Amino acid sequence: MALQKTVTFIIERQDSPTGKPYTQEFELPWRPALNVVAALMEIQKNPVTKDGKRVAPVVWECNCLEKVCGACMMVINGKAQQACCALVDKLKQPIHLAPARTFPVIRDLLIDRTVMFENLKRIQGWINVDGTWEVRIPPRQNPNTAATAYEISHCMTCGCCLEACPNVGPQSDFIGPSPIAQAYMYNINPLGEYDKANRLNALMAKGGITSCGNSGNCVKACPKGIKLTTYLAQINRDVNIQALKNIFDH
Amino acid sequence: MFNITFYLRRLHSLVGLFMGAFLMVHIGNNSAVLLGPDMMNMVIGTMDKMPMFIRLPIELGLIAAPFGFHALYGVYIALQARNNPIRYGYLQNWQFTLQRWTAWYLLVFLIWHVYYLAIHTRITGIHLCFEFLQSYLSNPVYWVLYVLGMWAAIFHFTNGINTFCMTWGIAKGPRIQMVINMACMGLCGALCLETLALMLVYILPIF
Ligand code: HEM
Ligand code: SF4
Ligand code: SF4
Ligand code: FES
Repeated sequence: MALQKTVTFIIERQDSPTGKPYTQEFELPWRPALNVVAALMEIQKNPVTKDGKRVAPVVWECNCLEKVCGACMMVINGKAQQACCALVDKLKQPIHLAPARTFPVIRDLLIDRTVMFENLKRIQGWINVDGTWEVRIPPRQNPNTAATAYEISHCMTCGCCLEACPNVGPQSDFIGPSPIAQAYMYNINPLGEYDKANRLNALMAKGGITSCGNSGNCVKACPKGIKLTTYLAQINRDVNIQALKNIFDH
Repeated sequence: MFNITFYLRRLHSLVGLFMGAFLMVHIGNNSAVLLGPDMMNMVIGTMDKMPMFIRLPIELGLIAAPFGFHALYGVYIALQARNNPIRYGYLQNWQFTLQRWTAWYLLVFLIWHVYYLAIHTRITGIHLCFEFLQSYLSNPVYWVLYVLGMWAAIFHFTNGINTFCMTWGIAKGPRIQMVINMACMGLCGALCLETLALMLVYILPIF
């Protein structure tokens, strides 16, 4: 019998939010185009470690399996990325999986990203269309800014950029790069523009854009190729102008 | 409406640049030694001629106060970061990390440097001159710590110009950010070589 090619995973596990992390090693048969989520599914079917111990199946999260929902973000070989499109053949073995500890860990690779939604609320990440006024035909999009808005709208709140950012984590209150890019997207929308000052003021508060230290990690980590550092610089410009307005308008 | 964090952080950035201007003057003065010990003594002499009632307010108001603010707030900023250059070994992330490591070194180095050469010498009436510095720096440990201190300050400042351009939204796109980065690192390299040359004058029998 020919020796079967295998893949080895070293997975950082944790039984509860406050549990102590530990690692387990799993070995499974290789197959073409295997990705990390598919491998985790194999482990779920047969949760036996390399040294033959039957253990509780590894917990993780996924939905779309095509890099649009953001759910499967984890730290693979040291870098935050989407597990569903991390091809085993492109990864150095043994493959290390760990939860993104920038966020609270619920269990194993499952994390709680509620904070990202809270941050979107904080920067007013929406457009006010409902009210006591009559809803009319919406204003036309500017085709130039629409291309930028389309790019930023790809954000799937996966949190790769937050995990990669040295200034986001339990040690700081920085909201991270993605909500800042989102604020810019709403600011250039013809209707969203009306609330630009509110968003910029929210970004000037503690934990807002000023907490960015220009490490440039976020733009490299974003799986959707959103030009985060460019929009951070743009918002830095915008808040300067907003600060002048705050001083001279009152 | 007035976000204190925003103004503090922008002030920290401006003060950093201002301290950099002082650093450039300081390096300029120190470079006199490249023209010989006599030139160095002349520069120190000119500074000594400035009366204390003018010199002290300048030193306290334009150097000590900005430094105190930048250092204190800088410590607060540096504590907000979990440096991760091993996991994310990109050039800019290494620069981010070095910005913080040099900050920690400078914090200790500058207290030592200012205490010994500006306060201690004045209290004990030591006359600052080339010959005194030469004997002081003949201790190889001091010499190395001083070269490292200068290099740390130079990197911290030149990389600071680079991040300043991002912090204020001056350089927006990736190309201009890279151009400014390379220009700043070029300046960093040039100034490091310059200070190395002037430090060598103290230990090599050049003059
Ligand atoms: C020779 C003395 C120093 C000079 C010339 C200097 C200069 C600068 C400059 C120009 C910046 C860039 C600001 C920006 O990115 O907008 C900066 C940033 C910084 N400085 Fe200093 N600095 C000095 C000493 C210190 C010390 C002693 C500390 C703290 C212990 C410190 C901590 C920091 C930190 C943490 C940053 C990063 C701020 C950020 O990324 O937003 N610096 N410095
Ligand atoms: S550039 Fe700013 S937001 Fe992006 S990773 Fe670095 S510190 Fe975080
Ligand atoms: S900006 Fe990119 S990396 Fe950050 S959450 Fe959105 S898609 Fe993920
Ligand atoms: S499962 Fe949706 S992004 Fe991976």
